[in-house]
Amino acid sequence: MSTEAEISLAQVTHLALQIGLLAHSCGGDTARTSAAMQRCATALGAHRVDTVVSSLNLGLTLEMGVQRETALRKAPHMGVNFRALNALERALTALEAGRISPAAFKSWTEQIAADTPRYPPWLIVVFVGIACGGFAALFHGDLAAIALTTVASAIGMATRQALVKRGLQPLMFATAAAFVATLITGAGHALTSTPDAALAACVLFLIPGVPLINGTSDLLQGNYLNGNVRLTMAIVIIVGIAIGMSLALRMVG
Amino acid sequence: MAHWLICLWGAPAALGFALLFNVPPRVLPACCAMAVLAVGVRYAIVTAGGDLVMATLVAASAVGIVAQAWARRLRHVSVIYAISAAIPLVPGVLMYHAVQAMLRIAALPNNAPGGALLEEAGVNAIRAAMVVLALTIGIAAPRLLWPHRHG
Repeated sequence: MSTEAEISLAQVTHLALQIGLLAHSCGGDTARTSAAMQRCATALGAHRVDTVVSSLNLGLTLEMGVQRETALRKAPHMGVNFRALNALERALTALEAGRISPAAFKSWTEQIAADTPRYPPWLIVVFVGIACGGFAALFHGDLAAIALTTVASAIGMATRQALVKRGLQPLMFATAAAFVATLITGAGHALTSTPDAALAACVLFLIPGVPLINGTSDLLQGNYLNGNVRLTMAIVIIVGIAIGMSLALRMVG
Repeated sequence: MAHWLICLWGAPAALGFALLFNVPPRVLPACCAMAVLAVGVRYAIVTAGGDLVMATLVAASAVGIVAQAWARRLRHVSVIYAISAAIPLVPGVLMYHAVQAMLRIAALPNNAPGGALLEEAGVNAIRAAMVVLALTIGIAAPRLLWPHRHG
């Protein structure tokens, strides 16, 4: 194969691990991460690929001709980034179809990892606030409940961003952000005739949707260990929300 | 507000989460449309007399299947649509009632009976957990039914 001449086994291993890392850290489930490494290495000329995906480490063993290489890498958890995940899928499809060279694939994926555009934090704060206002409406809240939830959740979201930036663990930032949002909603409960809808909606910006859905997806596809790890992560955040909420509810009745 | 109009609030609820998950801008309208679809399907089933868990399962499966079809056509990854669109189905009210009942159990005086509160907390927590389970299984449904077309 022509690719074997262009790119060494060590380079293929490195690149496949980088691809796996990108899929894993951007919110791919276990099957997707494993398939991404598999597809990348196969397209670059490996004839056998075995992968390991755990919640904190990625590994793979490649065979190319008579050579074999094994490598492991730490896989830190980062924010969900579906735009990068989508771009990665396109790059892999292009590589497999032979539309781009291995070198072009490498620079494309490096660019995805380094600078996929993100929405500005203030915009996320505003729209996450409105999202929770939408929840209050779905829970049959009145307009005052919707407005109150929007403000409280936006401030809660800003709190969460500030705490994540300072490196706080999930239990801590979930507790603190839920506390702030519930406290503000509770303080304004006299404004609305449906305070329960506002209180129920104001902490939903913390719901760990991606770990819950990826965790279930892992369980249903036979990746039991990783599925449990993801669901446990989600439960820790949910416990944090409950603690923060109950502390605030004690203070505002 | 008319009841069916409430379903439209699914769109902003999904939009906020889509921004949080860094969904590409061109995909945002589809996420919002699917969220309204999800809330609408669930509302229709509950109105017709179905229970919330079953209705959530059907609504989430609809989102999963539509997301898969849409994503295949545009060569996108289906989870980027499905996860944000399913978020408005999260049973916030049930979760809230469960937490509130647990808080009242914590505040009980010594030796006071807490049976009624325990029942309230338990029923709400179990219903919430089952709705979340139905939601996640529904989203994964296409991958379970057609494992080789994973996209």
